[in-house]
Amino acid sequence: MLVIGGGATGTGVARDLALRGIDCILIDQKDINSGASGANHGLLHSGARYVFKDGEAAAECHRENQLLKRLAPHCIEDTGGLFVAVEKDDDDYVARFPELCRKFGIPVADLTPEAARQIEPCLAKDLKAAFAVQDAVIDPFMLSLDNAADAMANGATVLRNVRLTGFDTDNGKILAARVEHRRTGKPFTISAGQFVNATGAWANSVATMAGANISMSYSKGSLLITQTRINERVINRLRPASDADILVPGGTVSIIGTTSLEIDNLDDIRPTTAEVDAIIREGADMVPELARARYIRAYAGVRPLVRDLAGTSGSGGRSISRNYTLKTHSEDNIENLVTITGGKLTTFRLMAQKAADIVAKRMGNTKPCLTDKEHLPASAKGEWTEPGKSPRVWMSNPERRDTLICECEMVSEYMVDEIVRSLKDEGAQPTLEEIGRRSRIGKGPCQGTFCSFRLAAYLYRKGELIDDQGMDQVRDFVNGRWKGFRPLVRDRELMRVELQESFLCALFGMEED
Amino acid sequence: MNAAVTQTGNTLNCQVAVIGSGMAGMAAAIFAANRGLSVVQVGKPSEISFSSGCLDLFSTIPGETLRSFDNPFEGIDVLTAEQPCHPYAKVSRDEIVQGFEEFTAFMNAAGIRYHCTPQSNQKIVTPAGTLKSSWCVPSAMYAGTRALAEKKRILIVDIRGLKGFGARQMAQNLKAAHPCMGSITVEFPGREKSGDLMCERLTWDLEAPDVLKRFIKVLRPHVAGYDAIGLPAILGIYRFEELRTKMEKALGTTVFEIPTLAPSVTGLRTKEAYIGHLGNTSVRHFPVSVKDIQTGKNGGFCFEVTEGFQNFEVNAERMILATGRFLGKGLGVNDTGAIREMLFDLPVVQTGHRSQWFDRDFFNKKGHAVNRAGLETDVVFRPLGRDKKPFAEGLYAAGSVLAHQDWKREKSGAGISIVSAYKAVAHLAETL
Ligand SMILES: Cc1cc2nc3c(=O)[nH]c(=O)nc-3n(C[C@H](O)[C@H](O)[C@H](O)COP(=O)(O)OP(=O)(O)OC[C@H]3O[C@@H](n4cnc5c(N)ncnc54)[C@H](O)[C@@H]3O)c2cc1C
Ligand SMILES: Cc1cc2nc3c(=O)[nH]c(=O)nc-3n(C[C@H](O)[C@H](O)[C@H](O)COP(=O)(O)OP(=O)(O)OC[C@H]3O[C@@H](n4cnc5c(N)ncnc54)[C@H](O)[C@@H]3O)c2cc1C
Repeated sequence: MLVIGGGATGTGVARDLALRGIDCILIDQKDINSGASGANHGLLHSGARYVFKDGEAAAECHRENQLLKRLAPHCIEDTGGLFVAVEKDDDDYVARFPELCRKFGIPVADLTPEAARQIEPCLAKDLKAAFAVQDAVIDPFMLSLDNAADAMANGATVLRNVRLTGFDTDNGKILAARVEHRRTGKPFTISAGQFVNATGAWANSVATMAGANISMSYSKGSLLITQTRINERVINRLRPASDADILVPGGTVSIIGTTSLEIDNLDDIRPTTAEVDAIIREGADMVPELARARYIRAYAGVRPLVRDLAGTSGSGGRSISRNYTLKTHSEDNIENLVTITGGKLTTFRLMAQKAADIVAKRMGNTKPCLTDKEHLPASAKGEWTEPGKSPRVWMSNPERRDTLICECEMVSEYMVDEIVRSLKDEGAQPTLEEIGRRSRIGKGPCQGTFCSFRLAAYLYRKGELIDDQGMDQVRDFVNGRWKGFRPLVRDRELMRVELQESFLCALFGMEED
Repeated sequence: MNAAVTQTGNTLNCQVAVIGSGMAGMAAAIFAANRGLSVVQVGKPSEISFSSGCLDLFSTIPGETLRSFDNPFEGIDVLTAEQPCHPYAKVSRDEIVQGFEEFTAFMNAAGIRYHCTPQSNQKIVTPAGTLKSSWCVPSAMYAGTRALAEKKRILIVDIRGLKGFGARQMAQNLKAAHPCMGSITVEFPGREKSGDLMCERLTWDLEAPDVLKRFIKVLRPHVAGYDAIGLPAILGIYRFEELRTKMEKALGTTVFEIPTLAPSVTGLRTKEAYIGHLGNTSVRHFPVSVKDIQTGKNGGFCFEVTEGFQNFEVNAERMILATGRFLGKGLGVNDTGAIREMLFDLPVVQTGHRSQWFDRDFFNKKGHAVNRAGLETDVVFRPLGRDKKPFAEGLYAAGSVLAHQDWKREKSGAGISIVSAYKAVAHLAETL
C-alpha cells in the first residue's frame, strides 16, 4: 500500500492502515505537514460554524471533536469557544444560530454580551450577542507527527522529500509509482497493490498522473500571528463567512484569519500586504486591539475546492457528506486508486477511515478501524514544536550547561542535539529548514535574525554542515521567514528588518554569490 | 579661537547642534569642533555599538548583477555617473579623502588606529566566513587581512558558549579560497561552567592580567604549525592594542580579531574612545533624545535636553540632523503609511506603497526600494522643503537619513556618514 501526501489525512490513513496490520509506505514531496495541514488555523471545530450551510458536516465535526478530545488530548488545548456578533452584524442571522445548533446536535449555550466580555475582555464594546460552544485548539504538527510515529511503530515506512512524478499503469491498474528524491533528484519506483491519493490541493495533479481528472479550484487563506496571546478561548464572528472571522489562541500567541482568495496556481503561495490590511481591519471590529497589535508572522494555506461533487456520489464512492471528497476512481476505470481530499483538519480521522475502509476491503482485509477506539500515543517527534515547552525545559534545568541558540523561543543546543538525532534516525539531513520545522527556532519576534545564523554556526561546530552548505541554508531559512514577515512590515517592523539586513548584507555580504 | 558652549542659568548657547550620535553625528561633532565651533551633541550612541568597527567607503553597485570595485574611487565614479542623485555625487574625491583623514586622525588620538590603502579596499574575515570589503580597517582586524593576503597558516578559535561565532563555520567557508585554515573550540578560563557567554563580559574578564595569562595557556597547545590566530573581537575595550601585542608575544604568532554579532565589542570601543576623547574638545554631549525642536526668529534652533535632574534649554545657530534611518529613529511611518522624518516632518523621498518597499527575495541583488527613501538635500546637504528650497538656511542632514543611497548593499555606511558630515560642516563653518 502506498499513501501519497503526508498531511493530516495521509498520516491518518497510514496509521489507520498500519493498525489494521497492513504494510504501507507514506511519501511526501517535502515533509510531514508541508501542505494545508501545516498552514491552517488549528481550530478543532465544534461544528457550530457549519450549521447554516451544511448540517451534516457540522454534526460530523462535533463527533470528531469529541472523539479527538478523548483520544488525542495531548495535541489539544481544550479552550472552548465563543460565537459573537457586533452591532453591524445581521440580527436575523444571529437569531437562527442557536436554533440550528440544536437542530444538528451541536451543544451551544447563551451568554449575555456582558458575561462574554467578562471572560474575554478583548471583545468589542458593541457586542450584541454571544454564545459558548465546544471549539478547541489543535496542534496540527504534533497531530501529524504522532500519527506518522504511531504508523511507523506499527510497521509503516515514512519517506520524506520523495515526490510522486507519475504512475506505471497497465489496463486500469497501477503497478508502481514513479518518484524522485527532492534533494538528490534520484528517480526510483515504488510498487504497491493499492494507492491512496491524500495530496489535498494537489489531488488533481496526482489523479491526472493516473489518467483521471478531478475538477478542482483553489482558495488561498491567509492568517496572522500576534506577538502575544490575546484571548483564552476561540472567538468566532457570528456572520456569514468572511475575512478575519476567527481568532484562535495557541500557546503564547493568537492567530487571526482567514481570507479567501480564489487562485489557480499552487506554486507560490504567500500572504500579501492587501490581505494583511483586510484581516487587521475586519478583525478589529470583533477584537479592537488587533488594530494595534504587533504581528510576528503571516502565512497562507490552500483549501482545495472540488467542483464535480456529482461525481463523488457515484456507486461505491459515495461521500457521506459534502464536507470532503472521496473518489474510488471506478468511474475512471482505475481499480486500485482512492483519492481523499477536501474536508477539514477536524475531520481528518474520519476521512482517513473512509479511505482506509475502501482499500482494506479491496485487499481483502476485514479488520475494523481502530483509530476511533485507540489512543494516539504521544511521540517525541513533535515535542519541540509546542509553544512554551522549550522555555519550560530550559528553565527547569538550570544546572545543565546549555547555550541558547534561539533566545526568543528559548531553544538550546541540547534541544537541537535531540532534534538532529531524531532527524538522523529517520534518515533525514539535519538542515536548518528541517530543524526549524521541528522546533520553534525562528518563530519568535526576531524571526530568525540571530538564531538562523547561530544555528548554522552550531551545526558546523558539530560537523553537521561542511563547505559552504550553511550559507545557502541560512539564505533559505531567512527567506522562508521573510515570506511571512514581509507583508507585515508597516512601521516599527522596519527597524528589525534594517538590523537584519545590516548583519546579513552590510557585514556578511550574503547577497553576493 | 575655540568657541565654547556658554551657559547662562539653564540655557546653553552654541553655534552647532548635532542631533544624533551615530557615525554621522560623531563625524559632524568632530569636524565642527576641529573648526573651533562650539557644539552641543545629543543622541544615544547605541546603534554604533552594532558596527563592525570598519569604515566602509564604497565597494558595490547593486543591480541585476553586483558590480564590485577594489578601488572605491573607481566605483564611486561609475556610481555617480549613473546615479546623479546619490549623496556621493555631491562631493569631490578630495572632500572624501579629507573627511576620512580628519575623522581617523581624531579616532587615532582617541586610541583607535585604522589601516587604509588609498587605492584599494581591504578584505576582512566575517563570522559567516565571508570576506568583507572595507576601506579603513582597525589594526586588530587588519592583521587578519594581512595574514590572508600573505597566505599564512591561520587557526580560527571560538569559545564554547559564545554563540553566533563559529570557527569551524568560518574555516569551512574560507577553505576554498584559503586552504591553510584550521579551527578549534576552547573553554574560556573561569567561564567553564556557564552556558551562555557574551562578548562584552569576556572582554571585561580579559582586562584582568591573570585571565589573559590563563587564556594564553588555553590557546598555547593548539597554535603549533600556525602563523596567525583569529579570535572573536574580545581583546579589551580600552587596552586592546596592548592585550593583542601581549598575546602575539606569548604565542609567537600573529593574533587578529574577527568582528562579532551585536552588541559588538568593536562598536563599543569606537563609542568609548569617542566619548572619552570628547573631553578634550568643545563638544558637550547629552546621551538623550530630543522630541521637539523650535526654529527661532533669527534662523536658529531651540530644544530641551535633560541631564540627571537638570533641564537645559539649548540655543543653536546651526543644526545637523544625523538621526539615522528606522533603527536610529530618524525615519518612521505616519498614519497614512508614508515614510516620515521624525523631528521636522521634512519631506521624504518615498518609494511607493508598503507593498513595494521590499522585494520577495530578501537577498535580491538590486536591494530593497525602501532603503532609498530619505531626505533630499542641496549640494551642501541642506534638506529641502516642499518648495524644493532648503527647509531652513541653517539646517543640514548627514548620514543614513539621506535619500538615494543603499549603504548596506553599497558597503558605504561610514563613508556616506563621514563625507556628508564633512561637507555640511565645511559649509556651515563658512557661514558662521
Ligand atoms: C487557511 C486555512 C485554514 C484552515 N483552518 C482550519 C481549521 O482551523 N480547522 C480545520 O479543521 N481545518 C482547517 N483548514 C483545513 C485543513 O487545513 C485541511 O483540510 C487539512 O489540513 C487537509 O489535510 P490533507 O492532509 O488532506 O492535505 P495537505 O495537508 O495539504 O497535505 C497534502 C500533502 O501532499 C503532499 N503532496 C502533494 N503533491 C505530492 C506529490 N506529487 N508527491 C508527494 N507528495 C505530494 C504535499 O506536500 C502535502 O504535504 C484550513 C485550511 C486552510 C487553507
Ligand atoms: C549591524 C550593523 C553593522 C554595521 N557595520 C558597518 C561596517 O562594517 N562598516 C560601516 O562603514 N558601517 C557599518 N554600519 C553602519 C554605521 O555604523 C552607521 O549605522 C551608518 O553609517 C549610519 O549612521 P548614522 O549616524 O547616519 O545613523 P545611526 O547610526 O542610526 O545613528 C542615528 C543617531 O541619531 C540618534 N537620534 C535619532 N533620533 C534622535 C532624536 N530625536 N534625538 C536625539 N538623537 C536622536 C540616535 O540615537 C543615534 O545616535 C553598521 C551598522 C549596523 C547596524
